[in-house]
Amino acid sequence: MKQYDLELLKIGKVYPGGNVAVEAFDLQVEPGEFISFVGPSGCGKTTTLRMIAGLEDITSGKLLIRGKDYTHVPAERRPTATIFQNYAIFPHMTVRENIGFGLDVRGIGTEEKRRRVGAIIDKLHLGDVADAKETSLSGGQKQRLALARGLVTEPDMLLLDEPLGALDANLRKSIQEELKLLQRSLNITFVFVTHAQSEALSMGDRVVVMNAGRVEQISAPFELYTRPKSPFVARFIGRNSLFSGTLAGAGNDRAVVETPFGPLQGTPAFQASEAKSGSDAMVVVPSEYVEIDGAGSRAADTSFDTIDGVVGSIDRVGQLAYPTVALDDGRSLRLETYADKIAGRGVEPGGRVTLRWRPARATVVLDQQPSA
Amino acid sequence: MHHLVGLRWLLGLYTALFIAFLYGPFAVMAILSFQQGPEGGPQFPIREWSTFWYQHVMGLAPPSRIAPLPIAEALTRSLSLAFATMVVSTVLGTLTAQAFRTRFKGSGVVFYLVVLGMMVPGVLLGLGMALVADQLGIDRSWWGTAFVLHVVYTYPFAFLVMLAIFNRFDRSVEEAAWSLGVPPARTFRKVTFPMIFPGVLSAMLFALTLSYDEFPRTLFTAGSDVTMPIAIYGTFAVEIHPNLFAFGILTTLFSFAVLTVYGILMGLSTRRARARFSDMQEDIA
Ligand SMILES: Nc1ncnc2c1ncn2[C@@H]1O[C@H](COP(=O)(O)OP(=O)(O)OP(=O)(O)O)[C@@H](O)[C@H]1O
Ligand SMILES: [Mg+2]
Repeated sequence: MKQYDLELLKIGKVYPGGNVAVEAFDLQVEPGEFISFVGPSGCGKTTTLRMIAGLEDITSGKLLIRGKDYTHVPAERRPTATIFQNYAIFPHMTVRENIGFGLDVRGIGTEEKRRRVGAIIDKLHLGDVADAKETSLSGGQKQRLALARGLVTEPDMLLLDEPLGALDANLRKSIQEELKLLQRSLNITFVFVTHAQSEALSMGDRVVVMNAGRVEQISAPFELYTRPKSPFVARFIGRNSLFSGTLAGAGNDRAVVETPFGPLQGTPAFQASEAKSGSDAMVVVPSEYVEIDGAGSRAADTSFDTIDGVVGSIDRVGQLAYPTVALDDGRSLRLETYADKIAGRGVEPGGRVTLRWRPARATVVLDQQPSA
Repeated sequence: MHHLVGLRWLLGLYTALFIAFLYGPFAVMAILSFQQGPEGGPQFPIREWSTFWYQHVMGLAPPSRIAPLPIAEALTRSLSLAFATMVVSTVLGTLTAQAFRTRFKGSGVVFYLVVLGMMVPGVLLGLGMALVADQLGIDRSWWGTAFVLHVVYTYPFAFLVMLAIFNRFDRSVEEAAWSLGVPPARTFRKVTFPMIFPGVLSAMLFALTLSYDEFPRTLFTAGSDVTMPIAIYGTFAVEIHPNLFAFGILTTLFSFAVLTVYGILMGLSTRRARARFSDMQEDIA
């Protein structure tokens, strides 16, 4: 049997007062994986992380860490360390004391403690401020201190709740990379909560997309990007165009949806047996794969799906061009392409154009109303 | 600009009056305490400057027709009572405020029950307590019935101070300690307590000073061994001599000493935790 680092078995959280924050959350994390949680505000990311940390009671389901049941074990007896968004530095202790604090209860000798604290201070470049207190630390230093304090206890996994939220954009970028390198070198599991999809996608080995207390999809970033499994994910991740209609037919690697723009195809995100013809479905097309051309040209090429529209305006930034195309149903799509690719092809404001993409690039998702 | 000058004058005048009323009686008392003794009375003019009454208060003066103030024991009682009240009320206040950090069922009712202790008129409470004690056959004493009422009175103050402190307390600091593997009891001692210490000091100061010169609740409940304020009150019935003033000055100096210790401890503890909590004592002060 496979040994997971972390297993959530249908865990759920109902807050006192009846507020359902998380429902039937299932997740298996392999040792050394970097997992990101992403989703809109209030979807339950923090609640889930706090349930893993033991800071919030689990009201249903089971939580296993390395195969052992931790569902009702209090925080101080879990092999996890948590990094809080505000870092939660102990203000009355120096950097060194902050780091050593978690070691005091572990029965570690003075010499060993000094060695470990020194090593982590070096590793996270905190030497210059080792005897400073929170007030004289910069945002980035506080962030590293929070990491050092958690890592020095050698946890089985690190839980991070929007740890970069308080940093400015530049610092954020560089710390993202540092964090990723750190995780690789330590080779321990990271569970990382963010509401920035770019952060989740660039950091995570796998990404958990949450919505309204439920898991929408758990996939590697590229798959999430190119093969969303639900309309929510298609809208939330990346820049996709969605065309809704009814399912006309589904095979194993191709499904057809009857839309107001005619039949459109894509790779089904579901088993053929799951869906009946006539049910609501959507074709999801990543904007990156949409090509634009003057109306009528190459219309006969059946290896593309096409729809027509009228160019509204074209923004140009350097060699990039961003035409906005109004579709027949009143929507408008903003596309990204190269200026020389559309030159001389009749793509001008007011001109009628054809949008086309290879059906293999599109995904068909079922538009199930959440069963109430 | 013109009306601003006027406003400045008004504020200046107000401040002057404030200081006059605050320190005026004290200054008069201070001057009169140096009256010549034992013949000099508690009024102007000063016949001759002397420290006779201070010696008298401390029992160092040569025997005279004026009886020593019957306060030596009362003072010891008041100080012990104030100290005990301070400890009990601060501990209770802190624990209750800690309990209030998570809203429990009926917390609203409990809140008002606790705070009522400082709202109920003291004389009535004292009288009621005396009646209850008599009914139950309990002897009234400063360390029993009076002590209970002192706690009832000062505990809400300590509770409210600590409630204000915990309201601004960032609980993630404690959670961080737990998730580092530090159990709650040790977390409270090593993290929470040092961070709320300025508040604890303030609660202690409140309880100490309120209990030290508590009068209405003590009057009927202290029994025959009275506390300092009641002993002083007792001397009014006879004749007032400047030794009372000398005593007043001495206990005020004592209060200043307490305040100084408070200030120093506060300074030390806030230097330690300046970051988060500098604004916190402003709330309290
Ligand atoms: N202590 C609490 N008591 C009651 N309800 C709560 C509590 N904490 C959170 N909730 C509710 O649970 C839901 C999930 O909250 P949570 O903080 O987990 O969201 P989140 O995904 O972390 O959001 P954000 O991105 O804004 O941090 C929300 O509807 C929130 O209102
Ligand atoms: Mg959150």
